[in-house]
Amino acid sequence: MAHRRKSIEIQRVAAYATIAVALVVTLFPVYWIAANSFKYDIDIFSIPPQWIPANPTLKHYRAAFIERPFLIYALNSLIIAVSTTLVSVVFGSLAGYALARFQYPGRWRYQISFWILSTRMMPPIVTIIPLYIAFNHLGMLNTKPAVIIAYTAFNLPFATWMMKSYFQDLPVELEEAAMVDGDTRLGAFLHVALPLARPGLAATAIFCLIISWNEFLLALILTLTERSQTLPIGIAGRVTQYNTYWGEISAAGFTACIPIVIFAFVVQKHLVRGISFGAVKG
Amino acid sequence: MASVVFQHVVKKFGAFTAVSDLNLEVRDKKLLVLLGPSGCGKTTTMRMVAGLEEVTAGDIFIGSDRVNGVLPKYRDVAMVFQSYALYPHLSVADNIGYPLKIRKVPEDKRRRMIMEVARRVELDGLLDRLPKQLSGGQRQRVALARAIIRTPKVFLMDEPLSNLDAKLRVQMRAELKHLQHELQVTTIYVTHDQIEAMTLADRVAVMNKGVIEQLGTPREIYNDPRTLFVAGFIGSPPMNLIDGEVKDGVFTSPGGIRVDGLGSASVARAVLGVRPEDIHVIPAGGAKANIAAPIYSVELTGESTLVTVRAGAALLAVRADKNFAGDYDQIVQVGFSPERAFVFDRQSQERVDF
Repeated sequence: MAHRRKSIEIQRVAAYATIAVALVVTLFPVYWIAANSFKYDIDIFSIPPQWIPANPTLKHYRAAFIERPFLIYALNSLIIAVSTTLVSVVFGSLAGYALARFQYPGRWRYQISFWILSTRMMPPIVTIIPLYIAFNHLGMLNTKPAVIIAYTAFNLPFATWMMKSYFQDLPVELEEAAMVDGDTRLGAFLHVALPLARPGLAATAIFCLIISWNEFLLALILTLTERSQTLPIGIAGRVTQYNTYWGEISAAGFTACIPIVIFAFVVQKHLVRGISFGAVKG
Repeated sequence: MASVVFQHVVKKFGAFTAVSDLNLEVRDKKLLVLLGPSGCGKTTTMRMVAGLEEVTAGDIFIGSDRVNGVLPKYRDVAMVFQSYALYPHLSVADNIGYPLKIRKVPEDKRRRMIMEVARRVELDGLLDRLPKQLSGGQRQRVALARAIIRTPKVFLMDEPLSNLDAKLRVQMRAELKHLQHELQVTTIYVTHDQIEAMTLADRVAVMNKGVIEQLGTPREIYNDPRTLFVAGFIGSPPMNLIDGEVKDGVFTSPGGIRVDGLGSASVARAVLGVRPEDIHVIPAGGAKANIAAPIYSVELTGESTLVTVRAGAALLAVRADKNFAGDYDQIVQVGFSPERAFVFDRQSQERVDF
């Protein structure tokens, strides 16, 4: 007995140690950005490192958000990410539902699903030149709609697949019952399937939001000025030919994390259920 | 109120034929049971009435309306699903009131009707709960209440009792029968449980492999089975079916069973069918035993004793008196009158009249 108790204790210690290592690895960079954003430039590079800012300052925040247009970048990011997420979730739900529920001749359900997914199989950089030329012809370069359209093209397949799998997990009789009770197919979708797929909606939304909030490559090519540039582009812009403004980068970078963290907390309840949704039936 | 008529209805799923050339009338205000093993097409038949499956060929009429291609919402039917299909995100009251809400019945009238129906199925007091907070029997009642809150032309019930425990099932069965009688709504009831079929039905359609083997009242189905399948499917314990040969009205089986007096029938590959309650244990020295066989098992069911004897390779079930006493391998004489026996042709599966 004593033996067994000891081995359980060792297991517990090992588990906590593993969690601790994982937390340090993932959270330390965030902490370091946060700490640096409050330090004077000289303290950022001090050796030995200054773990806690000795003379905290808001200098870099002032520089980024008042002297430079980071507030506008943030607003652009917000508009682009929220629009992309909305469009992707709305159309992804509709398409996912259609793929999950409707009859298709032969193997067309599989073919269409695969075709939708296949648009994600090439690296995004492959599409940049065609997208640039297309938007240039449309006169849409350096506009927010161009970025939203490009992001939606990348998020929609993902949203469709996510929502398809959530709808497939819902018992089909519920919608059948709704239709016999007097609903149309669309009514059954809106009144029954969609409310039950809420965890899936939350999970899909947060993934779309994170991807579009953090995207860099497409935005770099499609945007030119603060009219449409997003936070990642603004932050990268502080690496200049003569100087890298680590303080401003840290201040903007740390600020950029906050909305996503808040959103994640808000939808966390749904998110955890969403991720484990398929695993536990009933 | 309306009758439901199937005319030459065919349903195919790809190459598989689920229902082939179905012709059936469900009479107005009556309860018809579709009875058969799983995969026989009975649920598909019901789903075609609901509009959840399209017919491949043929016509379905509800009342005088041909409903092929009509959306479920316009068919005015109500369905109770095997899984109950309660909306998990809605309270009991909202579940029951859903059909009314879709039909835009005003809130106060809806409330009143929900209360009325809930009282009828003894759900008042549970109206604010969610389906997951209910027991199986209560969920069943919610599904039922949702079906009866409006008065549809047809009720469709897809094995509504199969998820309940045995005791509750018997109770709900009686309630269902009473409710159907009270509401006088044409009902199609799907089940694989022949006791449910016998007890509930005005008429039973026994289905097998997509066709109706026999249509009739429970009594007709039980006393006058037209095919080997119906004979074997109806009855608990099932009818004894013994393979053998009939020559000039005399049945003989490899197991040593002999039955005289079967008219002048001759069937090379015959099956003799006789129900357990029609076979009797004959006291030693008594006349007209059909076989003397060793006891295989003795099961007391309460009101009678089920004695199984070994007749060659076959087992023969005999419904004996509740006071029957016998031991394993004890030889008993069993017999039955030829009028209570059926002869089937193994080849055609049909009954041979004699």
